[in-house]
Amino acid sequence: MSVVATSVLSRRGFLRSETLVPIILILIVGILVIAPLVKIVLSTLTVEGRDAWQAVLASKMSENLWWRPLWNTVLLGVGVAAGCILIGGFLAWLVMLTDVPAPRTIGLLATMPFMIPSFAAALAWGALFRNSRLGGSVGFFEANGYIVPDWLAWGLVPTLIVLIAHYYSLAFTVISAALSSIGADLVEAAQVAGARRSRIFFGIILPVVTPALIAAASLTFAGAVSNFAAPALLGLPVRMQTLSTRLFGMIETGQTERGFVIALLLIVVSASFLWLGERLVAGRKNFVTVTGKGGRTKRFPLGKWRWPLFAVAVLLCLLTTFLPALILTASSFALQNGSLFSNWTTHFWIGEGGTDMAQGQAGIFRNPVLIEALWMTLKLAVTVAVTTMALGLALAHTIARNKGTVLATVLGQVSFTPILIPSIAFAAAYIALFGAPIGPLPSLYGTFLLLVLAASAHLLPYAVQSGRSVLGQISADIEESARLTGAGFFRRMGAIIMPLAIRGLLAGALLVFVKIVRDLSLVVLLFTSTSPVLSMLAYRYAAEGFMQFANAITMVILVLCVVATLLAHRLQNRVQKWKSA
Amino acid sequence: MSPANGNPAAIAIRNVSKRFGSFTAVDNVDISVPQGAFLVLVGPSGCGKSTLLRMLAGLETPSEGEMAFMGRIVSDGTRGLVADAGARDAGLVFQSYALWPHMTVAGNIEWPLKVAKWSKADRAARVDEVLGLLGIAALKERYPAEISGGQQQRVAIARTIGPKPNILLFDEPLSNLDAKLRIEMRSELMRIHRATGATSVYVTHDQVEAMTMASHVAVLNNGKVEQFGAPLELLENPRTTFVATFLGTPPANLIEVNKSGDGLVYDGLRLADASRAEAQDGVQLLYRAHDLMVGDVEGRPTISARFEEAAPIAGRTMVTAFSNGQRLTAMADGYFRAAIGDQISLSFVNGPSAVFAMSGERIS
Repeated sequence: MSVVATSVLSRRGFLRSETLVPIILILIVGILVIAPLVKIVLSTLTVEGRDAWQAVLASKMSENLWWRPLWNTVLLGVGVAAGCILIGGFLAWLVMLTDVPAPRTIGLLATMPFMIPSFAAALAWGALFRNSRLGGSVGFFEANGYIVPDWLAWGLVPTLIVLIAHYYSLAFTVISAALSSIGADLVEAAQVAGARRSRIFFGIILPVVTPALIAAASLTFAGAVSNFAAPALLGLPVRMQTLSTRLFGMIETGQTERGFVIALLLIVVSASFLWLGERLVAGRKNFVTVTGKGGRTKRFPLGKWRWPLFAVAVLLCLLTTFLPALILTASSFALQNGSLFSNWTTHFWIGEGGTDMAQGQAGIFRNPVLIEALWMTLKLAVTVAVTTMALGLALAHTIARNKGTVLATVLGQVSFTPILIPSIAFAAAYIALFGAPIGPLPSLYGTFLLLVLAASAHLLPYAVQSGRSVLGQISADIEESARLTGAGFFRRMGAIIMPLAIRGLLAGALLVFVKIVRDLSLVVLLFTSTSPVLSMLAYRYAAEGFMQFANAITMVILVLCVVATLLAHRLQNRVQKWKSA
Repeated sequence: MSPANGNPAAIAIRNVSKRFGSFTAVDNVDISVPQGAFLVLVGPSGCGKSTLLRMLAGLETPSEGEMAFMGRIVSDGTRGLVADAGARDAGLVFQSYALWPHMTVAGNIEWPLKVAKWSKADRAARVDEVLGLLGIAALKERYPAEISGGQQQRVAIARTIGPKPNILLFDEPLSNLDAKLRIEMRSELMRIHRATGATSVYVTHDQVEAMTMASHVAVLNNGKVEQFGAPLELLENPRTTFVATFLGTPPANLIEVNKSGDGLVYDGLRLADASRAEAQDGVQLLYRAHDLMVGDVEGRPTISARFEEAAPIAGRTMVTAFSNGQRLTAMADGYFRAAIGDQISLSFVNGPSAVFAMSGERIS
């Protein structure tokens, strides 16, 4: 038989690019994630490094350098996790499983606090509760004649409250996702079996969402432990140190090796709790209910508690979102915190410099440093959003394509590693690696590139996750059926994959944008005057006592974040014309 | 391997194997069918039939062997994919339909034609033609999410036949439809097969579909072709016990017997002549359901069995009963009723239609 081999499209050339891409990705994640971590470990193994280990762990100073900060850190972590589970769990239960009025609105409100930077709430707290202990202008309450005790103005208690107000929405998101998987069938089956309400709750619902509760607890714990802004603004002035503020202090004062040691210890503390949570959940994952027909959920009647509980929920949400925003706005217009709503001036926004107000400083929109920081922040956030989404999509695609191979496992594990590492410790690792010239390459410290690299690496797990969910919506069949028509790679990308993926990608990119704009703990170590960003500027102003400026900048950040988040929300939820409503 | 008339086979699969790591999904398959054939690949799940189909579509590369369409090599185990998925003049209907959700029904059908560089006028005419052929012209501007499963199925078929491929591939296309729709679509598919004149390859685990639609059937088991031929040929002359029990409605009975004297004996009852077992001591006898009748029949061997269930079929009754733990299917004239657990008698009204060795191969 004659062999008429037309259209010889050998696979060999393709194969090469198919193996090349994973190798390039391995190199990228290696440089982004593994190299800094290896370098920071190596830096603490030098002679100076070993001295630092000793100083931190076994010397007269270790009480101050390690044990006290550790105690504060763990206390904050546990307290925040408990508070978040309580508030987030309560709201999730209310929204998902009861007939509370306006559940969608409460749901949206409950996700808001996570959109705004955690230092917004910390600054707002100061505007209300700051007392005279440190001098300078006092907060609203003290200015109006109330005595605010130290424990309420500074230290652990306000830090705890501010962090709970920020992280409970993370717990809410995780728990409500789990509750939504409880189909009506599951509850009705228990009802038919004769179980009463409390029995159903403790016997069916609670066990099913336990993995989500554990996940929420470990995530909020890790968040609180690595948070820098709140303890720095509310704790540092009264010398309450956490591991992250200690780490910052060490590096700021040039005790780099000690800083690195504390960074490694912080990673261990945070990662071990996340690991513990993972272990607790591991065996139970499988009974997340898998029923074909989800969507219908059972709502319990609340009876006479319906409106009171609604009021509690709304109050909680307003206290943690609108109130801080309102206070910050008012404070940025007010001359002093004592009279937040009178004698308003626009000086702190657009006032000219050289007057006797604010020690002669101009309003933020006349301040060239701020304008530069605004552009720098936007540039950074957009760059990182683009690079991480591209990288995340490529990684998710490669991992899915090579599923089951060592390559995919390694890529998956490495790209999810940053989740275990508090961002401030990650920043320390980046200083360890890029702070000095590497061979012919110059030091990257203080450059825009370093910020982009660190932020991209830090957000890698998130980017891969959104890449996965985007690709998950496009089944392999859909692409294969396009391939069968003879359409080439770019044609398939342009006509099939992109139209289906673009919204998901945009939404993911917008959320990355938000995470960068509101971030402080990553940039606080990498920031220099040549690469100013908004959040750092706000922190500097607050640390120097120019509260109105800090609050005004924070409001700018807050507005940016809320607008971007709502836009992402719209993109994700808008009914697409080809989807039935 | 070429058919007698000298024309190359429309589809020739030559010694094709596919391995995933150490697992062999398709093992040395060697079959070919002429132009216009309707080849059904049937077998239990995991037998390798879908992998074979995906290799025909060009979505997978054979590890060994080659595939040729109309004499033109399209896949080669040593050289990889010779013709890419799009360059084989073949269309595939996916089990999931794989409709592009962001395109209308018309858009889904038109896009492959665009890729194939048809002119605008030709495209419009062809879209209307296939919409008409499948009776879905009214759905033209709808999106896939707005139409029912059966309608999506029709759109998927319309999209596949749009570019007039020479070979149509179907991957369990009816498995997501309800029973009534499935029978309807079966005849619909046959009609389309005839109308297009294409050579079709159809994958299913449903032996009824194989029996009703195929011109050629390949029964696959563990990656190997157990038997390949015309449906009636397979039904009448099964080469293995697997084929004998997998095909046919109601299912046939296999009864293990031992040689005793000059007879083959089941539970003390002589069923057939020992010569049919040739040199073997123990063999399996194949009895069709209609060779086993409920009640005593004068002069025929009869056994007693415990009644299990009865299902009326076309004026007769299919009866299932247990004898020594073995499930037997027999027929009764008219409508038969009994209580579960009743002892009933079953008569072997005809001799065994085939004899198999204990290992499963046909002896006589």
